[in-house]
Amino acid sequence: MAHHNPHRTHTAAWISVTVLLVIAVAGTLVVPIYARSTPAFADFPFFYWYQILWVPVVGILTGIAYLIIRPADATGAAEGASVASGASSDDAGLGNTGGAL
Amino acid sequence: MTHVNAVSFTILIVLFAVVTIVGFAAARWRRTENLMHLNEWGLGGRGFGTFVSWFLLGGDLYTAYTFIAVPALVYATGAAGFFALSYTIMVFPIVFVFAPRLWSVSRVHHYVTPADFVRGRYGSRGLALAIALTGILATMPYIALQLVGMQAVLTVMGVGGTSSAFLKDLPLLIAFVILAGYTFASGLRAPALIAFVKDTLIYVMIIVAIIYIPIRLGGWGHIFNTVGTHLAKTNPKTGKPFGSLVVAPAGEWAYATLALGSALALFMYPHAITGVFAARRRNVIRRNMAILPAYSLVLGLVALLGYMALAAPGVPPAVKANGANAQLSVPLLFQQMFPSWFAGVGFAAIVIGALVPAAIMSIAAANLFTRNIYVEFFNHEASPAHQTRVAQFVSLLVKAGALAFVFALSKTFSINLQLLGGIWILQTFPAIVAGLYTRWFHRWALVIGWAAAMVFGTVAAYRVPVPGTAGSHFGGSTDTVPLIQHTVYIGVTAIVINLVISVVLTLVFRALRLPAGADETLPAHYLADPEPDTAAPVRVSAAAEASP
Repeated sequence: MAHHNPHRTHTAAWISVTVLLVIAVAGTLVVPIYARSTPAFADFPFFYWYQILWVPVVGILTGIAYLIIRPADATGAAEGASVASGASSDDAGLGNTGGAL
Repeated sequence: MTHVNAVSFTILIVLFAVVTIVGFAAARWRRTENLMHLNEWGLGGRGFGTFVSWFLLGGDLYTAYTFIAVPALVYATGAAGFFALSYTIMVFPIVFVFAPRLWSVSRVHHYVTPADFVRGRYGSRGLALAIALTGILATMPYIALQLVGMQAVLTVMGVGGTSSAFLKDLPLLIAFVILAGYTFASGLRAPALIAFVKDTLIYVMIIVAIIYIPIRLGGWGHIFNTVGTHLAKTNPKTGKPFGSLVVAPAGEWAYATLALGSALALFMYPHAITGVFAARRRNVIRRNMAILPAYSLVLGLVALLGYMALAAPGVPPAVKANGANAQLSVPLLFQQMFPSWFAGVGFAAIVIGALVPAAIMSIAAANLFTRNIYVEFFNHEASPAHQTRVAQFVSLLVKAGALAFVFALSKTFSINLQLLGGIWILQTFPAIVAGLYTRWFHRWALVIGWAAAMVFGTVAAYRVPVPGTAGSHFGGSTDTVPLIQHTVYIGVTAIVINLVISVVLTLVFRALRLPAGADETLPAHYLADPEPDTAAPVRVSAAAEASP
């Protein structure tokens, strides 16, 4: 029987999301990519139209990241919910390292 | 500019009146049985969906200072000022990663402020106090700058005459008293509802400006040519060019670190976190990170207004005539380019644009004071209603303080403090964001790392001279880092120092087996997505559960 390993799906989802987000941030963090005036577009030097174009690109990349992570996130939330309802001051654990996100 | 344009002024007054009504009526919006609760007053019932959150966060993050200071910087220095666009491009993918975790753990434990989380995670009142104080300290000058932005508009409109200091400041005072009134009455619901008006005005203003003004100025090619010629001229004060149309290689590090540092800092500001905590479900945050870049586009276009102002024949002489205050460039551009009725719309967009963040900032600062100073150190047993009452009055106090900033201290001082605020708030990043993933860091190591970075950042910013004026201070937010010989944003240098100290001291303190403090959170809490109606009241006494 084909067995679906939620943990592996989760990891794969996060790797692809990381790649998308790193691209999104690097696009304007690495200034030498766009610190030039040519090629110009509609009278805009490259420096300007590149960054303006990057705005919707980042929106799309982040949107795709959301779609990828939504199912994995829902699994985590479902697991979290059961614990959440029981959360109180006396479940103070020591040295928790957080979840997978 | 001695006489007021009646049409522009009337439009501004009418729109201001609309917003005032909306602000007070907001108390009845998404009506709740009991508004006297910090979840309600301070976080709007924690029930905003994707649509409302988009307007709220957009209205919250893009302040009047953005609409005034970013184009002013572009007007004065050219390409270097565009780091703000790069910054708002980077911020949402970064926040996408950690904000849902912060939202989840805060929903499970009913945290109202980031310092609440830090206290629960590290079991440290001291570290929580450090986070709360930094938040309040960084927010105060930020509110003051909303006033500075409003003042720029009022100055250009000629409102308030110059006959006496009192009359000059009266319009600002009235605007702020009204703002304080509906914030007190409606809490976060007021700015959330007003954000709809603000954002609509801003979008209309920028779309019209970006099409209409370039046509009047002879097209984008002409604008970029004029600006390029001007920026290449030598600034008599510094003996160097005013700026450049493209970031020079020497400025690339400053550009990148300013953008990255600001992006990391933005969602450490209490008002930004308040906007996140007000979301109904976990998914609302990630969805918003994908659609909030729409506002980054606005910011990019607003930045270009600085170039339009530089290329408009009448604006630079008028800026010079007003003490070379570049902050007046955009209001002057509107006044000279638009028919008076639309100039009024543009002015209203900026003024109302200042009110929304000012309200949210004062609420966020009030939440911090109430939860992490008042309840924590002075009144453990304060009831939810009592806490809300305290927060309401503190929100008034915070606004009065911001007014005092602007009236009593010099405008330059407010701007310097804002610059410092950015450096300071970034120093809360390690404790908050690392804390969302790991309890490895020792609480005391984080406190010492924070303190060292705060001192370093403040001193380093103080030592930057104003270009061309030897012996002056707070001339900018970048400085040369000796080891790498590049100009870097001081906030980024400070956070590196902060992290290094935190890591080294954590190793030392762990070796010495110093007590780590109790952690009230569990891994699953960071992934939880509780139904909104399960949110229980804010815990009455945080201290009753205090760890050693």
